[in-house]
Amino acid sequence: MLPLRSVYGGIFRAAIRKLQTSRSPCLHRLLSTRDGLQVGLADADTIFALSSGHGRCGVAVVRVSGPASATALRRMVGLTHRLPPPRTALLRSITDPCSKEVLDRGLVLWFPAPHSFTGEDSVEFHIHGGPAVTTAVLQALGSVPGMRPAEAGEFTRRAFQAGKLDLTEVEGLGDLIHAETEAQRRQALRQMSGELGRLYQDWSHKLKRCLAHVEAFIDFSEDELIEDGVLERVDRSVCDLQAEVKQHLKDERRGERLRCGVQVVIAGATNAGKSSLLNTLCQRPAAIVSPIAGTTRDVVETALDIGGFPVLLSDTAGLRDSSDLVEQEGVRRARERVHQADLTLLVVDSTRLPSDVQQAADFLSDHLRTVLPSLKQPETEKCLLVLNKTDLLPEAQTQKLQQELRRVSGLPAVCLISCQTNEGLKDFLTVLQSSVKTLCGDPLCGAPTLTQARHRAHLQQCAAALAQYQRYRDADLALAAEGVRLALTSLGRITGRVGAEEILDIIFKDFCIGK
Amino acid sequence: MLTQKLPAVQSFLPLVSRRVGHLSSRRYDVIVVGGGHAGTEAAAAAARVGADTLLVTQKIHTVGALSCNPSLGGVGKGHLVREIDALDGLCGRAGDWAGIHFSILNRSKGPAVWGPRAQLDRQRYREFIQSELLSTPRLTVLEGSVEELLVTEPNPDEPGRHRVTGIRLADGSQPISAASVVLTTGTFLSGSLFVGQTTSPGGRIGDAPSGAGLTHTLRERLGLKVGRLRTGTPPRIVKHSVDLSLATLHPPDSRPTPFSFMNTRTRCEPEEQLPCHLTLTTPGVERIVRESLHLNCHIQQDTKGPRYCPSIESRVMRFPGRSHQVWLEPEGVTSDLLYPQGLSMTMPPDAQLRLIREIPPMRRAEIHTPGYGVQYDFVCPTQLSPSLQVKNTQGLFLAGQINGTTGYEEAAAQGLWAGLNGARRSLSMPPAALSRTESYIGVLIDDLVSRGVTEPYRMFTSRAEFRTSLRPDNADLRLTPKGFELGCVLSPRYQEAVRVESSLREAMAALQAVRLSTTSWRKMLPDIGVSDNKSSLMTGMEILQYKDASFEMLASVFPETLSAYMEFSQRLKIEAVYKPHCDLNRREIERIQKEENMSLPQDIDYVSLPVSLSLEVREILERARPSTLGAATRLEGMTPAAIVALFNYVHFTEKQEKTMQRNQRNQKEDRDEDLCSTNVSLPR
Repeated sequence: MLPLRSVYGGIFRAAIRKLQTSRSPCLHRLLSTRDGLQVGLADADTIFALSSGHGRCGVAVVRVSGPASATALRRMVGLTHRLPPPRTALLRSITDPCSKEVLDRGLVLWFPAPHSFTGEDSVEFHIHGGPAVTTAVLQALGSVPGMRPAEAGEFTRRAFQAGKLDLTEVEGLGDLIHAETEAQRRQALRQMSGELGRLYQDWSHKLKRCLAHVEAFIDFSEDELIEDGVLERVDRSVCDLQAEVKQHLKDERRGERLRCGVQVVIAGATNAGKSSLLNTLCQRPAAIVSPIAGTTRDVVETALDIGGFPVLLSDTAGLRDSSDLVEQEGVRRARERVHQADLTLLVVDSTRLPSDVQQAADFLSDHLRTVLPSLKQPETEKCLLVLNKTDLLPEAQTQKLQQELRRVSGLPAVCLISCQTNEGLKDFLTVLQSSVKTLCGDPLCGAPTLTQARHRAHLQQCAAALAQYQRYRDADLALAAEGVRLALTSLGRITGRVGAEEILDIIFKDFCIGK
Repeated sequence: MLTQKLPAVQSFLPLVSRRVGHLSSRRYDVIVVGGGHAGTEAAAAAARVGADTLLVTQKIHTVGALSCNPSLGGVGKGHLVREIDALDGLCGRAGDWAGIHFSILNRSKGPAVWGPRAQLDRQRYREFIQSELLSTPRLTVLEGSVEELLVTEPNPDEPGRHRVTGIRLADGSQPISAASVVLTTGTFLSGSLFVGQTTSPGGRIGDAPSGAGLTHTLRERLGLKVGRLRTGTPPRIVKHSVDLSLATLHPPDSRPTPFSFMNTRTRCEPEEQLPCHLTLTTPGVERIVRESLHLNCHIQQDTKGPRYCPSIESRVMRFPGRSHQVWLEPEGVTSDLLYPQGLSMTMPPDAQLRLIREIPPMRRAEIHTPGYGVQYDFVCPTQLSPSLQVKNTQGLFLAGQINGTTGYEEAAAQGLWAGLNGARRSLSMPPAALSRTESYIGVLIDDLVSRGVTEPYRMFTSRAEFRTSLRPDNADLRLTPKGFELGCVLSPRYQEAVRVESSLREAMAALQAVRLSTTSWRKMLPDIGVSDNKSSLMTGMEILQYKDASFEMLASVFPETLSAYMEFSQRLKIEAVYKPHCDLNRREIERIQKEENMSLPQDIDYVSLPVSLSLEVREILERARPSTLGAATRLEGMTPAAIVALFNYVHFTEKQEKTMQRNQRNQKEDRDEDLCSTNVSLPR
């Protein structure tokens, strides 16, 4: 990302040193503000995250970094005063600090500053893999005061800030943050399209109105006819909202089960053989297959295990313009799914490819662009091209395509298969497995636990901020309004940022401001 | 005390006599065009900074005129007045001189949103501003119409970038040159006036339209993007024709609170203040609006008017079937007119008369001057840098309605800032910027230059993210020292601010030093409800945070340590209540300030910048051209990765430039040495 390096190597190194010493704290903070997904909190926070991949792995590693690490360690493993010797693995029972319930038995390691990955006090918990244990440990950590879930790239940023990263790692920082925020974005999109998302959006909407009405009362009530009872209505809304948020935080069973696993979506034109591919992969007729184009209309989901990794495989409606309302909705859902996918299997009917290899490559690039317009050049690993129906091609043509298409740069990996004869299936599975494995190495990809923990933290802040409104309601409306603002900001970190203009829009829609 | 003494009226004469022929110089540091709220603050600020300043106005006797409502301040706007005053601007002191009805709005809602406001006597306000300008050293006021703005052709090294060289007046005299020109032409840029179906060119009734040359230079030569906005003013009503007994009386505060940090009282005695009256519209008003709609071209045209301060026509159209408030405001001590706030209208005059007579107190009212609408061009303010200088024209500054704002206070704030920066530029000082974390003026300017406007921009307290820190009571602490450093605050005010600051600090330290158990506090001050569940000691500062506690109470218990600070009792109470919240804000404020201290070069070509940025982000940056990294992070669609890339790029290029400079210096020294040795070896 820094082509200047080759030319100005020395300058670069000096600048890095400068960054790491003088200015880097502000870079760190810079990175931590942006839109709703990221939190602009300062360094004093202690952060935690699942640092290993997920899926069926024996051991999961949870990392903690920041000043409260020692407290977290003591509380989680029941140490009263002495900390374990630095950098030594210790087998302990890991308990929930509130309920004192034993969550797991695992290794803990204590890395006092500055000898840790981030240069801060750090703790690692090596616990048993599997969503139940990791979720429980992450939630328990979240209940320790001063702790919050790490944001995208935050461990790396702290390491960068402490001068713990070498040159090549710094170069990758931007890309890394990009990748992680992308993963978070997809994760958030998935959740926001569900039940839970609607709930949060509804809260956000109510809070926006509350804030707009308080702001209208502050900015205009002295000159304008703001009708009676505006603030009383806000009081009621705030009270109800606070109760709802608290209830939601208490009731673990409420809300939908979050979808686990790497999200793999099968997409492509009608009749390319997408449903056949789904059935082949899950070895049962999960989806209806017919020669009629447009057979699949809704998203068909199957949970699969590919090479030991959890995968949620979705078959979608064939992408085409249709006048059928049901099919149109199916196509819309298909596109939405593709947008949220970690990996897209783009299925193409190989008999429809031009016979000239160069033309075939162009055809595939075009096709890719129409199905996945958001896919950028360096992200080709997020897609596999599956050329189906090779049983209908002459053997020589299949061979030629197989050899030549691999050399075309800019195309994702190409697999030629026949769902009819299972020809090429083995190679395809190898490619698919390695893609899934790479994706699972990314702790953010497909892991709802982290998002869940983040949501909890923000919802707790939201509830606390609403209490501020109630505390100051009668004494100082400016400070009370600040509470609603804070609540909306916290919720906005889940649902997306709310700007001042949006609040003003509501004010002017709801009130006649004449002076 | 009211520090300002007005010179006798006769001394206004020299001001009027400064005609073109009498100009002692044809070269100034700063020329300010326009004598409204922006222009007067700009000229005064430029002169305070030390620049030789010329204020050019169409009519000297309208300098400092309140062309619309006879009032100053309010919620949000009052914050601006306090900040302008903290920077030694004019309008706060002028308000204290001319105010005839003072009140603090939002008194019950918390000091952060208190809105100091006053009804003004138009004549006194104008007098004050004119006498103030007259007595300002280094400032000349000239009556004339500016025909042309003189700019250079773009410098070949910096394509598309011009430089201002001066102005030419319409009277055909020689051009007047200046390093900086501040344009504050208000609604006069391609302005048109509307009453009923009549349209005439102009920016204000009674004034000639400005020269078309100025518009031409801005649009055609400098290629600035302009938009069109509209505004309006209500008819003025003959006071004795109104039966005020039918309206609700709104008395002023019994003790007027001055706007200015330098005044402890206002010119108007408490009992001399005049009241305002409030009345409501009737269904008849709505009927007349609808009947006259076809005769009302201003309303029919598709130009953006504000959602606030709308005309009575748009109010009844948007919220039909209800009563709307109308404030009847005095225009001055001796004035025979009333200003009906909320009745701005553009229908034909006969319909205006019928309309106001539908409102009970005005059944027999007479109109002195009908209301009218104005449509005018504004320059899209995203083309300005935070110093309010036009990005592509060095030395050209814009302030006030020309930037798409509405309101006296908004105009004055920009005027002060543009004047200050114009002067700094002419004196070869670096531009000054105000952050949105430290002032409402900063919020105003940042909103304008980084977001632009879609409707006339007005200040609201909800626009300020750090509202609890940016309070009207502490504007002096926030801005006066900074203003002094920048040159726009004169010594007496600075000394006063230093005194206040150190007293407040001492007083707070004294409050912190008083530490007692809750039991002792309860015994000493039984009425404030100190909670007994706290085991630790509580400081006086913490006690002061209780709703019912006052500094006076504490001072009566600890007279020896606290009674010296009675002067600041209200400010100390506010400081105590807000301290925890301001401390919470501080980290976020520091972060934003650091980002804002990292400026992005204005000549970056984002399209070809050799760093990894997506095409989308490049387009956003190219369009917005943020001036700091902080502004870049606030742009919609920016990614953290892009911010890292930008941050790295800026740092490396800075570093690179320094190294190159060092190398050049070294090479030069090498060459010098070579020359020396050559000289030595030369045979003589």
